[in-house]
Amino acid sequence: MVGAHVGNLATACTEAASSDGSPPAQIEFRNVTKMYGRTAALRDFSLTVRRGEFLTILGPSGSGKTTALMILAGFEAPSSGDILIAQKSVAAVPPFRRDQGIVFQSYALFPHLTVRQNLEFPLEMRGMKANDRLAKVDRTLEQVHLKEFGSRMPSQLSGGQQQRVALARALIADSPVLLLDEPLGALDRNLREQMQSEIKQLHREFGKTTIFVTHDQEEALTLSDRIVVMRAGRIEQVDAPEALYDRPISRFVANFLGEANILSQDGSDTFKGGAPAGKVAMIRPERITIRSFAFPSVDLEKRQSVMGHVEEMIYAGPLRKYHVRVGDEVLVVREHVASGQLIFQLGDRVQLSWLRSDVRFLAE
Amino acid sequence: MDVFRDVFRNPLGLTVPALTILIVVFGLPTVFFFFASLNAPEYSLSNYQAFLYRGANLRILVQTIEVSVFATLICLVIGYPTAYLITAAPKRARIALTVLIFLPWLTSGLVRTYAWILLLGDNGLINRTLLDLGLISSPLALIYNRLAVYIGMVHIMLPVMILPLLSVMQGIDKSLMAAARGMGARPFSAFWRVFLPLSLPGVRSGTILVFVICLGFYITPQALGGLRDVMLSTLIATQIATSFNVGMVASAAFILLAIAAVMLSVFGLDSSGKQAHPDRSHRKDRPKSVFRSSVLTKGLGDRVRAAYWARELYQQGDASNWLALAGSVFLALVMTFLLLPGLLVIVMSFSGGAYLEFPPSTLSLQWYQSFFGDPSWTGALWTSVQIGLMVAVLSTIVGTLAAYGLSRTTPRIRSSVTICLMTPITLPAVVVGVAIYFGMVRLGMLGTATGIVLTQSVGATAYVVAIVSATLANFDRRLERSALSMQASPLQTFMRVTMPLIRPGVIGGALFAFIHSFDEVVQTSLVSGFSIRTLPLKMWENMRNELDPTIAAIGSVITLMPILWLVALYVTWWRAGPSARKRWLNT
Repeated sequence: MVGAHVGNLATACTEAASSDGSPPAQIEFRNVTKMYGRTAALRDFSLTVRRGEFLTILGPSGSGKTTALMILAGFEAPSSGDILIAQKSVAAVPPFRRDQGIVFQSYALFPHLTVRQNLEFPLEMRGMKANDRLAKVDRTLEQVHLKEFGSRMPSQLSGGQQQRVALARALIADSPVLLLDEPLGALDRNLREQMQSEIKQLHREFGKTTIFVTHDQEEALTLSDRIVVMRAGRIEQVDAPEALYDRPISRFVANFLGEANILSQDGSDTFKGGAPAGKVAMIRPERITIRSFAFPSVDLEKRQSVMGHVEEMIYAGPLRKYHVRVGDEVLVVREHVASGQLIFQLGDRVQLSWLRSDVRFLAE
Repeated sequence: MDVFRDVFRNPLGLTVPALTILIVVFGLPTVFFFFASLNAPEYSLSNYQAFLYRGANLRILVQTIEVSVFATLICLVIGYPTAYLITAAPKRARIALTVLIFLPWLTSGLVRTYAWILLLGDNGLINRTLLDLGLISSPLALIYNRLAVYIGMVHIMLPVMILPLLSVMQGIDKSLMAAARGMGARPFSAFWRVFLPLSLPGVRSGTILVFVICLGFYITPQALGGLRDVMLSTLIATQIATSFNVGMVASAAFILLAIAAVMLSVFGLDSSGKQAHPDRSHRKDRPKSVFRSSVLTKGLGDRVRAAYWARELYQQGDASNWLALAGSVFLALVMTFLLLPGLLVIVMSFSGGAYLEFPPSTLSLQWYQSFFGDPSWTGALWTSVQIGLMVAVLSTIVGTLAAYGLSRTTPRIRSSVTICLMTPITLPAVVVGVAIYFGMVRLGMLGTATGIVLTQSVGATAYVVAIVSATLANFDRRLERSALSMQASPLQTFMRVTMPLIRPGVIGGALFAFIHSFDEVVQTSLVSGFSIRTLPLKMWENMRNELDPTIAAIGSVITLMPILWLVALYVTWWRAGPSARKRWLNT
């Protein structure tokens, strides 16, 4: 009975996808609000996810990103608004009848089942025959390079291996949608980068509509087609990674994705950078050129410049970061380390300059 | 299936069976009973006045409080250092000691009281040994006095004090002590300023639990105490058995209940309000912390953060070596006190002579033969087993459902419903018994097997709820969501994921329910109406009339039973597979 229902839903998904020329909307949030008592975890959340898209919901903890995902998965009911999957409202569909693969925070592998049994579970629930299951699990185990680990218990796997099992388990039933809830949070840096590229590769291979929730901006920039930046239950900005980094609309987005020098509103004229009322000027640290006070850059047609002195120098491998005090402000400058480069010392007088076109005006 | 889904969506629905039994069997009768005490429908306090104006009653009331206070204090004075020393012991020793504290707690209170009769009696082991050694010429008055009452009560209540203390102490981050030491605190001030304040919740839990249970003590004071050592519960039970003065019984019961309620609300509820985490409030935590160690896996599995600081504590020069030695001696004495009586009963039950002796001059199975050859004994055993199984099945089902439902409600609802479900085991046993007795009279179930099963199920369900809740608290709900996301229906999710993972808790709960039923004397004796005789009732009867050595035989069987239970529990735990084991060890 469950199987039949799901079958319908799955077909519905495919039909909807092929009926339109442009990539059709696979998932749609319509003005979804979720209240917990008096506090809104999600406010008027509207979002369309296209078929095959890799979309990341990015935000600090408590910004509502996981709530949005849990509402989509059906574990939380929206207080108002609607969710559509393949143009059909799923507000009344319980989670076990929504065809979605989910990777949970800390994986949620069944500790009492072996890796193989974990992978079999979604297939079994869909009523697949034992023989077919066997073949499918074998194939999947090979795909995720865990062929020898089928009979292990999850607790006997390393973090990266557990992560792969969780991914495989979410993919194995060929659900059209893949939901990932901070899946890389528990891994160390190297492993995380490796898993990022594996996830990216899987997405290229299977082309599933993927929604990825994270608070890690680097992860978001690396993986996504589009990024939704959340703030206090609301969507702050939705855009492709490059656009988001390059043209943030607000101070919040600029600060959350990468580092940002906010040029104060009330300082000198240079610092205002010509910002209109109610807006602030922002320049990214890597857009600033740092020169010795003695040899300033002079192309003042296109460039703005200020004088200051080095307050701190941070060496970070391929990068060198300077904190430069200019009046009351401290600007951060990031420079790639190259040979023959002049290295400034603490207290050195320097000139900072940047292209006028690199300055962005943001909402406060 | 739709019904299941509705229930699934409204988790409070799962608590309905447990609450229904509780309300019908215990809740409503208590209310009626209360009105009866007020002479409804006239409403007057005459019953209470009559009770309190009688000097004898007042004396008994004061005596009940006095005995309870002293027994509680003795338990605390012995229990705190014991728990501390166990916490500080190396891992293996700690596990072993915890199990050894735990064993007597599982053993029938009746058998343990009987053991003290064998030890302290005029013809008992101690007197006979001293007489044989020629140290005394006539038996010392060791039994039938206040001292014997204290010995018996402390012996029974000590584990109840130690287990919550252990649970709290093992949760204290040991690096805090190390940090205090690092900041220049001497060992004693590190203990006084850091460890002691952090262990106070355990002290509070243990003290209140012990005190309230002591208030309702009935068996031990009557068996070991003199004629003057009457407790309020004895008075109540005698009243019911003989003259049956409803007003008198009711006012006595509610005075006892009031004392318990005041203690619980002053020391239990009030201080819990000040705690930062409302859902870890003391009241709710108390039954849990008692039973946290009770699920063997958990008691065994408490994380060893660092045994180092403890070792370090003892490596502070010569003085500390003496301290360590003193600690070991103290622990050994406490363990002897807790375990020796039970062991003596087992050894003496094999005596070949005409009476029980230690060490037995000849060995024989005569008392076992007299037990199994006597249809009145075997009949009682069979009755107890049947009732125990029914109680275990009923309370495990309703208790597990309730615990599962409660685990998905808000902390506030969870804690208030849990408090309600726990009342049968947190209030003085005799008060609960009297209320249920009145209920059974009204329901016409006095002296029926159904009545006894329901009576015992009320208490047994509380144990099941406590144990299963503790297991569920460690259960990761994401696993259920994960299963649902893979299109497992709620029923499939419960059967395939939730149940296998909480099974040890459910089995542990069932065992406790059975043990509770198998040991219960006070309430059962009231409700049985002398027409049904369970094994403990028969033992109690024989104990009062004569010192029947057959009791030693059945007593040893009952004493050995918990060990079998523990083995059974351990086997389930072991069979749960290596990963599950590892998981529990880590929680």
